[in-house]
Amino acid sequence: MTAPTSSTPLASRTGAPSAPVRRIRLPKKLRNLELGLLVFACAINAAAVVLVELGAIGHLDFTLVLLGAGLSALVVAMHIVMRYVAPDADPFVLPIATVLNGIGIAEIYRIDIARHDAGWDSAAVRQIVWTAIAVVCAIAVILLIRNHRVLQRYTYVFGFGALVLLVLPMLPIIGRQVNGARVWIGIGPFSFQPGEIAKIALAVFFAGYLVQARDSLSMVGRKVLGIRFPRLRDLGPILVLWGLSMAVIVFQRDLGTGLLYFGLFLVMIYVATARVGWVVIGLVLFVGGALIASRILGYVQDRFENWLDPFSDHVYNATGGSYQLVQGLFGLAHGGLLGTGLGQGRPTVTPLAESDYIVASLGEELGLIGIFAILCLYLLFVSRGFRVGFAGQDDFGKLLGVGLAFTVALQVFIVIGGITRVIPLTGLTTPFLAAGGSSLVANWIIAALLLRLTDTVRNQPRLVV
Amino acid sequence: MTVSTLTLLVLRIGFLLLLWLFVFAIVYALRSDLFGQRVRKLQSDAAGNPFASAAAARPAPAPAAAAGTISTAEHPLAGLARPITGPIERPAARPVPGEPAGSFPNRPMATVLTAHRLVITSGPRRGTEIPLVNEPITIGRSGDSGLVIRDEYTSTHHARLMLWNNEWMIQDLDSTNGTFLDGQRVTVPTQVPLDAPIKIGTTTFELRR
Repeated sequence: MTAPTSSTPLASRTGAPSAPVRRIRLPKKLRNLELGLLVFACAINAAAVVLVELGAIGHLDFTLVLLGAGLSALVVAMHIVMRYVAPDADPFVLPIATVLNGIGIAEIYRIDIARHDAGWDSAAVRQIVWTAIAVVCAIAVILLIRNHRVLQRYTYVFGFGALVLLVLPMLPIIGRQVNGARVWIGIGPFSFQPGEIAKIALAVFFAGYLVQARDSLSMVGRKVLGIRFPRLRDLGPILVLWGLSMAVIVFQRDLGTGLLYFGLFLVMIYVATARVGWVVIGLVLFVGGALIASRILGYVQDRFENWLDPFSDHVYNATGGSYQLVQGLFGLAHGGLLGTGLGQGRPTVTPLAESDYIVASLGEELGLIGIFAILCLYLLFVSRGFRVGFAGQDDFGKLLGVGLAFTVALQVFIVIGGITRVIPLTGLTTPFLAAGGSSLVANWIIAALLLRLTDTVRNQPRLVV
Repeated sequence: MTVSTLTLLVLRIGFLLLLWLFVFAIVYALRSDLFGQRVRKLQSDAAGNPFASAAAARPAPAPAAAAGTISTAEHPLAGLARPITGPIERPAARPVPGEPAGSFPNRPMATVLTAHRLVITSGPRRGTEIPLVNEPITIGRSGDSGLVIRDEYTSTHHARLMLWNNEWMIQDLDSTNGTFLDGQRVTVPTQVPLDAPIKIGTTTFELRR
């Protein structure tokens, strides 16, 4: 049986074969729920923009509200497309992504107001344009990929594509170095971070590879101290990946991305084989590599120092010191429990308040209560992806769902952990919130893929006993 | 237009409330996913289920070997099972009643070609059947299972029937109370013989031609 008919109840399928096929038009409960939540989400976004204007400039200015309404129309268009091509998809993914994206736009707009940026200089306008591009990409993905198993056929194409995307910023003409990290490509005025798309390609590659290789990974090997360690031959891919993520750290000076790729691979291999040995090996490799890197590479050493001792004078005042980290912490402290209110804080004191430090800006203006609501939204988003791992029908889809959801979770942890000084700070974008086109496009594609995967998960049982 | 501080304070708290309202709206909508379906009392209503009435209303199929006693007699919880509802006249039976429980090396295995339906032989929904298609069936209490069994003995994700090389296998998904094939607890994915009773909670079913 194929996925599109999976929602039709038993009664319509079990009639005598000779009977004419009757298509019963069922009320699309899931899609109606989604529409309701989507309207709620758009209302929250509009309220956020209005509050920013009231708080920061004291009166209403309708240009951005109009732009936001255009975005709402696009998101509703995606909803309508899904009524036709993915009627059983999860009803929560799209509203959650919409709210996160909208709150991000409102906060970026707030920072623009403080900096007196307007028109094309305004990061908020650019963010809205990027969101429009990203939503169109998501619609294209959901329209083009009607069955996720097609992706499995191109496992190695995706693996190779990920490698190419990773290498692109190192090329001489199009590669660009921004703030020390060489992870950008630029053509004319446009710049893009190919690593963001690479993480999706890597997730597809890992899922496809592990579906084939997991038996040899989990069954064969020598047992040491109660843990079965795999053979060296099967260890090959994980070593290659380890080398790759370390190369990203060394040559592109991007700690966060290396951590993200490696964490993604570890979790997927653990989910595929259920062997703790892999996680032990992986953690040892990563901690070892990070320790060596912190000794040899200057900027990694700085990050560790900023993390451990941010409040001392010489670290705070050093170039590339803990100034940004500490300002972010002060901002969060200024916000307190309820926050200063949208438009009424001073988030621009922190460098990069609209991209890397968007969470600190939001934490200042929405307070602990607001940040926890945002974290809850991420939690729900990720849990919808993990649900595919539980309830999915095919192993490739299960692995891909878990992998994609985990990238979002790990990215949120790395960013917010860095800002709140739980782990050393690394430059990653907060999914959906932070200003940055490549990150938005990548995360909306992830959302579209999750929607495609959840569409195949059975929502209606065939029989209830 | 100027906005007073008090208005801003009210709006600020109102926005946070709105945000949390959104979170709780989502959590409320997916509560059955988070907390599992409500456990059903064993003697609860029968007519509430559209699937069962649809299945029961269909003319009874005509299997060849349908005689003898049903496996409810040997079922430890048989007394608890509800009486049959709907027009199910003929209790189904094991084809070879005298055969001992345990492994049946000579019995034909259930494959895509041989097994065509899943028949519930004991439990609240006894007599119901669903057609088997080339698709794995998950069994459990959660609403996303293919076969939802709601009683106190079934885990949220209890077991699954899957296809390996076109042969039906039963796999226990670390359930609390276990899955029993021919009276033996399933620990590893096991091939399912035709007409072998599989017991989950108070429900027993068989794969048949």
